[in-house]
Order: sequence, then C-alpha cells, then structure tokens
Amino acid sequence: MTMRISDNGVDRDMTADEETEFLAWQKRSFAKAKARADAQTAKDLARQAVLDKLGLTADEAAALLG
Amino acid sequence: MANEQTSVPLYAASEVLTATNMNISAGTGVPVFATTGTRDAAFGGANEKVLAEGQLCYLSASNIVQYYDGAAWATVGPAAASGLVCTKAQTAFTSVMSVNVDNAFSSSYTNYKILVTLSAGTGSFTMKLRAGGVDTTTNYGSYNTAGVTATLSLIKNGLGTDEFYFGDRNAKGAGYDISVIAPQVAQPTGVTTSIYSSYGPDDYSYITVGNQNSSTQFDGFTLLIDTTAMTGTYAVYGFSKTV
Repeated sequence: MTMRISDNGVDRDMTADEETEFLAWQKRSFAKAKARADAQTAKDLARQAVLDKLGLTADEAAALLG
Repeated sequence: MANEQTSVPLYAASEVLTATNMNISAGTGVPVFATTGTRDAAFGGANEKVLAEGQLCYLSASNIVQYYDGAAWATVGPAAASGLVCTKAQTAFTSVMSVNVDNAFSSSYTNYKILVTLSAGTGSFTMKLRAGGVDTTTNYGSYNTAGVTATLSLIKNGLGTDEFYFGDRNAKGAGYDISVIAPQVAQPTGVTTSIYSSYGPDDYSYITVGNQNSSTQFDGFTLLIDTTAMTGTYAVYGFSKTV
C-alpha cells in the first residue's frame, strides 16, 4: 500500500522517491528505538541484580539514597 | 483656534454664516493627508489653523488615524498586530506518515510556536527542520523528560541526532506545544516542546529541550511518525517583534 504524505496542506500518495526515503528513515527509527529499549532493559536488569545481591527492594534502595 | 467646542452648532435657514461659523465647520472635521509631511505642512501657515490638542487626521499612505495630544501626533488605529500572529492557518491532515510544511518561518518574526494535535497515529513522533523544501538530517540534539505513569526518566537523543524526538505515542489523542527559537537566524535553532498524550490507561507526557546546531536558516519543518499513520492538525504562529 502506498504511504501517504501531507504536503503543505495537501494529503496525497508519496512519490516513489519519497516512499523510499521514508522507509529508510522508518527502518533506522525502529532500529534506534530497539537499541534504546534494549539499553534500558539491560540497565534495569543490572540494577535488579545489584538489588538482589543486597537483598533490597527498589523502594528501599530509593529511600536509602534519599 | 482650539479644538474644544462649547456647542455643536445648528444653523437656521437663511442665516448668514460668518467666518467663525465656517471655521468651526472646517476645523472640526477629520482632514486627510497623504503623509506626515503634508500633514505637518497643513497647519500654522497663512490662513491655516494653528495645530492644537485634539486635532484628528487620517494618513492615506499608512492607512492610520492619528490625534494630536498638544505635543505630538499619536496613532489611534488600526490597533498594532497582536503579540502572536498566525502565519500558517490551522491545517488538517488525515492518515499520513509525514507532514511537510514549507514557508512557515520568515524574517518577519524571530521566534515561532507550532501547535499540533493528533487524534491517531502510533510510534515514535519526530520533527526535522527544512530549508528550501529539503529536510535537514544532522546536528540535532535533544533531551526528553518523559513521564509515563509514575516513572520519570531522562532520554538523550532518543532517536539519534538526525531529528528532534518528541517521544512515543499510541493512537490516543495528544497535543504538542512546540516553540522554535530563531529558525531564520544564522545560528543554532532552539526547540522546546511540551507534550501531553494518553498511553493505554495511563497519562503520558514529555518535555523536550534541544537544538539544531548549525547556522542554517530554516523556513519549514517536517513531522514524522514511524509506525501507523497519523491524523491531526497543525498551526504556526510568529511572535511579534514589536509592541
């Protein structure tokens, strides 16, 4: 299905070049979002591992650090 | 002759009109001058009225009405432009993945506000600045303060440095208040954005602060969403540079 664009107030189908450019941007955007989510997951897991070692909940750790 | 009147005369049929009578009529109308120069030259000469407080005039070159306050001319109207002037009328878009807006910024204003509403569209929502109909895809930097339910987080360059990242959204309604600082000035362009959205059953909001760190003079912008098509509106306003 052809992608649509609002071009200065006019909704229309993207040209082939516009669609190619958009799909490339979309692919990069998905990759960056995944990388950011993966990094956050890794960070959360590392934090949880430390909390598990200390035997603290996240709320207790937050209270401890003020 | 002073402009203050003590009566509004009404002449009777066959009454002899004196010079005084005629001067009242001539002196209390609103004379029309081409410019301030012809205005100033029209008073105080031989057989001309001496300029006095309360005098009105209309200047055809500038289409304004003025009054003389005894010391200087002041403008009655039309009123000066308001502080925020709509430069792109509210425009709707339906089921699109991107929105191009050219000729949104000019040297008439230094700073701008873009107001966007979305009623549909999912995924990462971003903005790129444009010049001459072409997106600029480098040198962006931004921080997002993201509040999702009870979790507050700070995100730096959420989708890299090739656009402003305004957060993720689902299909629910959202409002974007985007201030653009000096897009037409040959210096970095600043952006601050406040966003409210609704994410699942919980509230969801972002504050974005960033800039495009080049000296490009931008005249437009592109809004993009990466997952499903968006429906909404945008409008652009320029902040007046004068009082």
